[in-house]
Amino acid sequence: MNSLHWYLLRRLVLLLFVTVAVLTILFVMFKLLPGNPLSVFIDSNFSEEMIRRQKQLWGLDAPLWLQYVRYMWNMLTFSFGTSFFQMTPVRDIVVEKLLHTAAMIVPAVVLSVVLGALLGSWLGWRRGSRREGAVVISLLALRSVPSFFVGIIVLMVFSYNLGWFPPGGMVSIGGQGDSFLETIFSVDFLHHLILPCLVLMTREITSPALLLRSTMLEVKGSDFLDILRAKGLPERRIVMHATRNALLPLVTDVAVMMGFLFQGQVLLEIIFAWPGVGRELVTALNDLDYPVAQACFFVMALIILVFNFVADVLYAFIDPRVTLS
Amino acid sequence: MTPAHTVAEPGGTGRRGVLGTLAHTLRVIVRYPTGAFGLFLLAVFVIVALIGPLISPYGPFEVVQTAQGRVARLVPPGSVALLGTTNQGSDVLSQLLYGTRVALLVGVISAVGSVVLGTLIGLVSGYFGGKVDEAIMRFTDVAFGIPFLPFALIVISVAGPSLPLVILLVTLFLWRTTSRVIRAQVLTLKTRPFVWAARAAGASEWRILFVHIAPNVLPLSFLYMAIGVQGGVMLEAALSFLGFGDPNVVSWGSMLNQAFRAGAMRSAWWWVIPPGVALSLFVISVFMVTRAYEELLNPRLRET
Repeated sequence: MNSLHWYLLRRLVLLLFVTVAVLTILFVMFKLLPGNPLSVFIDSNFSEEMIRRQKQLWGLDAPLWLQYVRYMWNMLTFSFGTSFFQMTPVRDIVVEKLLHTAAMIVPAVVLSVVLGALLGSWLGWRRGSRREGAVVISLLALRSVPSFFVGIIVLMVFSYNLGWFPPGGMVSIGGQGDSFLETIFSVDFLHHLILPCLVLMTREITSPALLLRSTMLEVKGSDFLDILRAKGLPERRIVMHATRNALLPLVTDVAVMMGFLFQGQVLLEIIFAWPGVGRELVTALNDLDYPVAQACFFVMALIILVFNFVADVLYAFIDPRVTLS
Repeated sequence: MTPAHTVAEPGGTGRRGVLGTLAHTLRVIVRYPTGAFGLFLLAVFVIVALIGPLISPYGPFEVVQTAQGRVARLVPPGSVALLGTTNQGSDVLSQLLYGTRVALLVGVISAVGSVVLGTLIGLVSGYFGGKVDEAIMRFTDVAFGIPFLPFALIVISVAGPSLPLVILLVTLFLWRTTSRVIRAQVLTLKTRPFVWAARAAGASEWRILFVHIAPNVLPLSFLYMAIGVQGGVMLEAALSFLGFGDPNVVSWGSMLNQAFRAGAMRSAWWWVIPPGVALSLFVISVFMVTRAYEELLNPRLRET
């Protein structure tokens, strides 16, 4: 076992520990807080006998510790039970909604990273110029405007007033393809994707741009660039070489960004009526459909934890200069 | 971007006390043009939050009537209502003014609460180290593993929406970053000579921590308090926009929620734009102030 193995093992144990802790908090929350999920389901017309049978069916008559053990087992094996209202397995619902969310996030992240990296390397190269300062400040200011308000404005202008884009949804009515892949490779889907994707990008482009800008500043002083210059390469090619070396820290940034966005896009999903996992959570809570809400929460939390874990691991693997302590 | 805070404020803040440090901080921020402008905007928001209900033409839920005695629904900005009315006949300007108070109330209380909590946790964790530190840091890891918005939505839907609950949830969300940053700062501070000197002079551990180390992390705590006000206002707006805010008060978020549900994006821009602009302006003004302050705290940021 070298230090890298120890590091990975420690991270993995931490991941499990935090997952179990978050699940426990979720369990305690549903047990302690006032408002009984059972009361949603049970009508005042139910007889004592029916209530008893329903409790038995859900395992609510078992002692608390047994309920906890069963709950843990179910969550960790992704058996989320059946939705109160849709009467379908919660797992199927959650998987479908997650795919929809990913269909919005992945293109936005890829575009943000590519464009952000280009912009950042330009900013780093042109450091100190007046235009560079203006771009950095406007990027930061743009990021601090709440993205749900940006979403509302964009919808008002480009959808309601100009009519260039549909006012929300993922596909037009009847535009659903036979499979998920067929759906997301349709022109109709792209038409719906453009606005939410742009709004996400106004926010997400900042972090790769600033990150690449600062690493570019470090790389810029390296000796290998002088050698390239001595070889007579044009400035444009030299920037490309420098960028490639400045890309490393970006990889972990992307992992963290992906994880965060799976919970951060809830507001945008509501505004653009995007049938993703965040919108499903809000709908489930409004319908008091607790099995679905619980599963959505768990899946979002898990995705963040896993992506952060991946970021830590990549960080250790990619850059040999990083010391693990 | 989280800059590395390796340097305490130059000159030290040893004997200034909390209010003295705050006054000094404000004086320095005003030296930056953006900082001064941000502070000016913030001052306007604070004044509006204090006197808003006095100058607002109507109550937040009051129904405005037209000259003919009808309910003034969706009236565009004009003589009846300066910023127009909602579909229920409420005055948008009045709601905006009342909403400012709610926004600042949530922002300030949760920021102060979370910074006090985060600073104390960070101080204890960083200074005592060992098992205490390990336990606290694992606890922080768990807190970081909880996605805020989904968590808050579930708690509110089970326990029922109210303003104190929103403040509590936001506080519980904001302390995490503060405690990590303060801890890192304490780790470097506790190896400085002035700490050895205090120990050699016979100061107790708690005295060293609160009299000698704590004043040096105060500037950083203020920075995170400002960022916390911004975060608190944004999170309250987000929760209210999703319909999980206190139904008995008007906030910028709840105005946007009502407008969104009523389809005002299509028909009544005057109902949508003011709360969104107020929210954005507030967030940007805090950003400008913290940016100026951050440059001051972290000279490395100034170079690059």
